[in-house]
Amino acid sequence: MLEIKNLHVKLQDEDKVILKGMNLTVETGKVHAIMGPNGSGKSTMSYVLSGRDGYEVTEGSATLGGKELLDMEPEERAAAGLFLAFQYPVEIPGVGNMTFLRTALNAQRKARGEEELSAGEFLKLVREKAKTLKIDADMLKRPVNVGFSGGEKKRNEILQMAMLEPKMCILDETDSGLDVDAMRLVADGVNALRAPDRSFLVITHYQRLLDHIKPDVVHIMADGRILQTGGPELALEVENNGYAEILAAHGLTEAK
Amino acid sequence: MADALTAGPGFVPERKAAAERLGAMGLPGRRDEYWRWTDPATLNAPDPKPAQAGEAEAPLFDALDRLKVVFVDGVFDAGASDDLSLAGVEITRLATSAPGWAEGLYGTLEATGQVPVKRPFAALNTAQATDGLLIRVTAAAAKPINLIYVHKSETSDPILHHLIRLEEGAELTLLETGPAGARFNKAMEVDLAKGARFHHIRIQGPDQERRAVTHIFARLADAALFKSFTLTFNGVLTRNEAFVEMLGDDAMAHVAGAALGDGRDGAFHHDDTVFVTHDGLRGESRQVFKKVLKGGAIGTFQGKILVKPGAQKTDGYQISQSLLLDDDSQFLAKPELEIYADDVKCSHGSTTGAIDETALFYLRSRGVPEEDAKGLLVLSFLADAIDEIEDAALKEEIVARLEDWLARHRS
Amino acid sequence: MQDADIREGVDRETVETVQNMGSYKYGWETEIEMEYAPKGISEEIVRLISKKNDEPEWMLDWRLQAYARWVGMTEPDWALLDLPKIDYQDLYYYARPKSMVEKPKSLDEVDPKLLATYEKLGIPLKEQMILAGVEGAENINLEERQVAVDAVFDSVSVGTTFKAKLAEAGVIFCSISEAIKEHPELVQKYLGSVVPQTDNYFATLNSAVFSDGSFVYVPPGTRCPMELSTYFRINAENTGQFERTLIICDRGAYVSYLEGCTAPKRDTAQLHAAVVEIVVLEDAEVKYSTVQNWFPGDEEGKGGIYNFVTKRADCREARAKVMWTQVETGSAITWKYPSCILRGDESSGEFYSIAIANNFQQADTGTKMVHLGKNTRSRIVSKGISAGQAQNTYRGLVSMHPRAKNSRNYTQCDSLLIGDKCGAHTVPYIEVKNNSSRVEHEATTSKVDDDQLFYCRARGVGEEEAVALVVNGFCRDVLQALPMEFAMEAQSLVAISLEGSVG
Repeated sequence: MLEIKNLHVKLQDEDKVILKGMNLTVETGKVHAIMGPNGSGKSTMSYVLSGRDGYEVTEGSATLGGKELLDMEPEERAAAGLFLAFQYPVEIPGVGNMTFLRTALNAQRKARGEEELSAGEFLKLVREKAKTLKIDADMLKRPVNVGFSGGEKKRNEILQMAMLEPKMCILDETDSGLDVDAMRLVADGVNALRAPDRSFLVITHYQRLLDHIKPDVVHIMADGRILQTGGPELALEVENNGYAEILAAHGLTEAK
Repeated sequence: MADALTAGPGFVPERKAAAERLGAMGLPGRRDEYWRWTDPATLNAPDPKPAQAGEAEAPLFDALDRLKVVFVDGVFDAGASDDLSLAGVEITRLATSAPGWAEGLYGTLEATGQVPVKRPFAALNTAQATDGLLIRVTAAAAKPINLIYVHKSETSDPILHHLIRLEEGAELTLLETGPAGARFNKAMEVDLAKGARFHHIRIQGPDQERRAVTHIFARLADAALFKSFTLTFNGVLTRNEAFVEMLGDDAMAHVAGAALGDGRDGAFHHDDTVFVTHDGLRGESRQVFKKVLKGGAIGTFQGKILVKPGAQKTDGYQISQSLLLDDDSQFLAKPELEIYADDVKCSHGSTTGAIDETALFYLRSRGVPEEDAKGLLVLSFLADAIDEIEDAALKEEIVARLEDWLARHRS
Repeated sequence: MQDADIREGVDRETVETVQNMGSYKYGWETEIEMEYAPKGISEEIVRLISKKNDEPEWMLDWRLQAYARWVGMTEPDWALLDLPKIDYQDLYYYARPKSMVEKPKSLDEVDPKLLATYEKLGIPLKEQMILAGVEGAENINLEERQVAVDAVFDSVSVGTTFKAKLAEAGVIFCSISEAIKEHPELVQKYLGSVVPQTDNYFATLNSAVFSDGSFVYVPPGTRCPMELSTYFRINAENTGQFERTLIICDRGAYVSYLEGCTAPKRDTAQLHAAVVEIVVLEDAEVKYSTVQNWFPGDEEGKGGIYNFVTKRADCREARAKVMWTQVETGSAITWKYPSCILRGDESSGEFYSIAIANNFQQADTGTKMVHLGKNTRSRIVSKGISAGQAQNTYRGLVSMHPRAKNSRNYTQCDSLLIGDKCGAHTVPYIEVKNNSSRVEHEATTSKVDDDQLFYCRARGVGEEEAVALVVNGFCRDVLQALPMEFAMEAQSLVAISLEGSVG
């Protein structure tokens, strides 16, 4: 599904290299987790994949279902099936959540040459999805993320995911700032969306999210690349021993 | 221009006084502080610059049950207008009547509004207006009145003056639509008695070449409500002044505006000049002005909250913001507070900048194409101003107009 | 000292000051024999001042040009000030102590009466001392806390301390009259290059008749080894003070400069029209702090200084940095807008201000931030406090020119009203001419918070002290931007200035 090969990325305005030959393959239907200390380049990777400005790819490639992602505009990537759940979802005052979702959904459908949904069909769909995800109808009426609690924002991200039905979902530290209950709700939402044709890449700093979203593969990332890959037990190992050992094995020390 | 004394049948002393006021102050020049960012030359000139009428726009508020009053290039069009009769409302024309209730009131609010800052075009208007409506509301008006200004002649130079008096507890919604003429000088005096409620919604546009200088003078008695919203797009030059005096206690005045201009269509210069005076207890005022500018468009805002001595418990707020969609446009603002009472809560804010890149990326990452995403963010930016419209149906119509404009002005 | 200690010290000081409060404590007069130029202004007077200062021809020409221009100018009337008519022919434009006619060669030769004057003001002109009036000063490392002082008395500088030590570092610190003679190349190059002779009515008047002031030059790469300060004292009656300060901070250099001002209590108003020019070159940084405590007039609004000041810094090259901090508590009328021209790319300007107006004082003050270079930054924090029947106006300009891409401004102006007879006003001008820059302006006006007052009083703090404490909290952002000695002094001034404003 997602294939990253030898990806090198630097900041556009500075001579700071962030990804230094990153390789990663996420198979269709699998859940991969990336863990790593702060500053390892995890978030940068998610931004580069989804096409945020400010980064320069100096080498390498990233493909989604065989198509080169890095040449596409952000909206083309979304239409191709990529979804990034933001660590800090953006507030957009004055734009209703429903309007936003419908605009996004129909834009993607149009880009894929599919029929746009009528207002009625859309409404039905969004109510249905909100219900399965236990999202308050009230949240749909409010402006995008404005005045939402941390948990509500993250659940809104999951609702968008459910509506847009992407093939490849990247969750960027979705657990950050959530208490245990909120995290469980979000994880339940993600689990409900697991499907044989949908892959996930869960970026997290802590193992606790992975108790709820069980990964098939765990990667440890530091210094802009994947250092080690293993099964779920690797996450537990990090939880118990921290990153120091793994870092040391690769000649790195933990950043301050 | 019509002679002051022959313009209409009545208000001769009032018109004479206004002509004297104008004579004493003269027309504004570039060096006037109040005109530092807007060149009044084309408004001052004896003749207007020719302006072609734009394509007729889709009719506004068509679905709404309203009383239509049509002026074509400033001339009353009886055929296109509804009967000037409405339950709870007396409506006559300035050109043909001088009802007793209006005597001694016509021009009074304008005269008050000349202090502390001169507004010569308003005095000119009072002296020389050729027509307009005299509206007295004694109860809740059965439906809104819609003034429709049609622009046909390339050289029309209409001067209209409306005088509106809401008696105690009366209510009226007034809609104004259309470009009116090549150069439009309009003044509106709104006198609100105790507990009266006045809603005003105006859409200025869509002619590209038109010029306009407009004034609203409002006076609020106890617990009166005044709410005005203006949507402007296109126009070489628009200067909208509002002078609102809250004399009574517990009054509420909200003045809002959204202006969108693309200089690539021709010049766009939009000026909102607002002066709100608190002279009663517990008054609440809001000034919410937003501008979306591109292609060398210029937006200016001069806003003031004046809190007079003794106007305690005032709650005054003012926000002026502009979104510059490209590097050529300009925003010039002077948001002022002048406060002579201590137990008040007054604040203002002003921001200028480009579209928020993070929000743009967020939308695009959800599959919304860049131009649509920008459109959504423009609507988001304008939301606070549009929210000042209370009526949901009217609001929807305004938003539809905005969306339409945005769709036609992509980069 | 830790920040927390300073803060606590400041709060304690506030309470103590209020408890011991007398009124304006610098209102006494020094009895000293003076020499005056004839009253009034004319070309002859301009020539006379130039001659008294023993000036070269070019300086006189410059003054005369300014005078010729001034004659045709009119006083500005745009400020929110009720400006009494000033009779410019009824003033002395030059007054110096007779003992200063023969310039003393060193501080030891200065008239003891003059030295005593500064001693009494808390500014001893002795090199071993630091700025006095600071509680706990004895605990401070003296080497670190030395402050060089240029003392200006009416129209002349009476002496400058630490000149030798500064010269070792290559720093020139002297009176401007001396600089005109000793460093003409620097003065000629920079004088009038930031505030042109014809800039405005008062600056032009100053250009014609300035009598003295301070001059600073910090050479490239030099961190000025101590803080520099000028202390202005108006003593003589019916005399205008027109001082001129020129500071040049060369590439990569740094200097912190302090300015203080006081004058005796008098029934008649006196004019003070100063010009300060600062030139900041590449990577250089200047901090300029003022505590302005001119006599504000009495409780009935009689007397006081009319303070018309033009202060401007030019960040002429890349990454130049200027920070203005001012505490304006004195003067009957203040008209003052310390400004920054952000010409160099990535240059930055900051303005922190506390302006207090009590009784019949009128203040119209603020700043201009003119962004010309790319990636320039500015920040404005203004705290205005009005009490009694005073009027206090913040007036400012933030201008982003088309070329000033990616620049930022943030402005916060807060006003506090004490009593219902005073006024607080905000008049900002914002001009943005490119879209990559971001400008944010916020302003609030409120009264002293009743809950805060009640809370203080419930803990046993008296009403006046409570107000002073609350005001102190309101001003804290700005007080913290001041050098420590000034923070203390400013703090007590805040309290004194508000005397009698409650009840």
